[in-house]
Amino acid sequence: MAEQISAGLPPVSIRVSDDAHAVLAAQHGRALAARLGFSVVEQTACSTAILEIARNIVKYAGAGEVTFQAVEDGEQVGIVVVACDNGPGIADVNLALQDGYSTGGGLGLGLPGARRLMDSFQIVSRPGQGTTVVMQKWRSAAPVREHASSSRGRP
Amino acid sequence: MDSSGSTQKLENLLLVAVPRDLMDDEVIELRREILQAIRRHGSQVVLLDFSRVDICDSFFGRFIYTTSKMVELMGAKVIISGLQDVVIETMVELGMTLPDVDAVLDLDDALALSRSLSRQYNHLNETAPPDGDIADEE
Ligand SMILES: Nc1ncnc2c1ncn2[C@@H]1O[C@H](COP(=O)(O)OP(=O)(O)O)[C@@H](O)[C@H]1O
Ligand SMILES: [Mg+2]
Repeated sequence: MAEQISAGLPPVSIRVSDDAHAVLAAQHGRALAARLGFSVVEQTACSTAILEIARNIVKYAGAGEVTFQAVEDGEQVGIVVVACDNGPGIADVNLALQDGYSTGGGLGLGLPGARRLMDSFQIVSRPGQGTTVVMQKWRSAAPVREHASSSRGRP
Repeated sequence: MDSSGSTQKLENLLLVAVPRDLMDDEVIELRREILQAIRRHGSQVVLLDFSRVDICDSFFGRFIYTTSKMVELMGAKVIISGLQDVVIETMVELGMTLPDVDAVLDLDDALALSRSLSRQYNHLNETAPPDGDIADEE
């Protein structure tokens, strides 16, 4: 992620401490993706990954923050999402990234699924100090006109 | 048709409109409502309608799974419908599979399925041995 600059939009941070905030963060991700001309499939992928990560913050850390940044790299336009919390952290990140691994009775698909849905995915976690997820998705092709992308677009 | 909250009775089918944004604290209540409605109406099939849902994360997957297990214990069956194409695509990428839960294309198919189940059920009752006197059961 060397030479990316903001695509003219300031970063936006959303504080997340309950499920309603997690949904809000996912909706914001979708709206930003739509605004940048992502296809509906890409919008859905982004917002679903964000919802996974934001619900993890609520469930496992109690509270945290999700920051959105539009980026450009030459021809490419993308979204970077940074989700961080000061929760208990994850003892074994590689284990947590495996399909089906959950300490909370979940399906264990949040981290590995978000990784598949995005183009890049990094997670840094220290027990007792918290967890930070940085994930990014590029718009795949020509921009999709926003009004044509979703008749049920989020406000 | 009888409806309360997010459930609606249609013949022996119970229609459930899955909320667009499912929150942690709503799930227990919604499941309870479904179980009560099954008991009240004697529904044999519960149709979870996903047409309002445009972001379907693994939390929804877990909801479908737990709901279908509970409904099974009441002798009924969960089917789903209304998933948008982009949502299906994303669910697959996410790694979500729903073994044991059938999907139908639309309400017509759901009704056809529940009618055929109810025919099977009536047939079983008709052919039950005479000592099991259940004829006048209401
Ligand atoms: N922000 C977080 N803080 C602490 N632990 C986390 C966090 N996010 C994920 N985890 C851990 O990683 C595991 C896997 O997460 P995930 O793949 O989303 O599955 P699930 O949420 O269904 O358990 C969780 O069960 C939890 O132990
Ligand atoms: Mg999770």
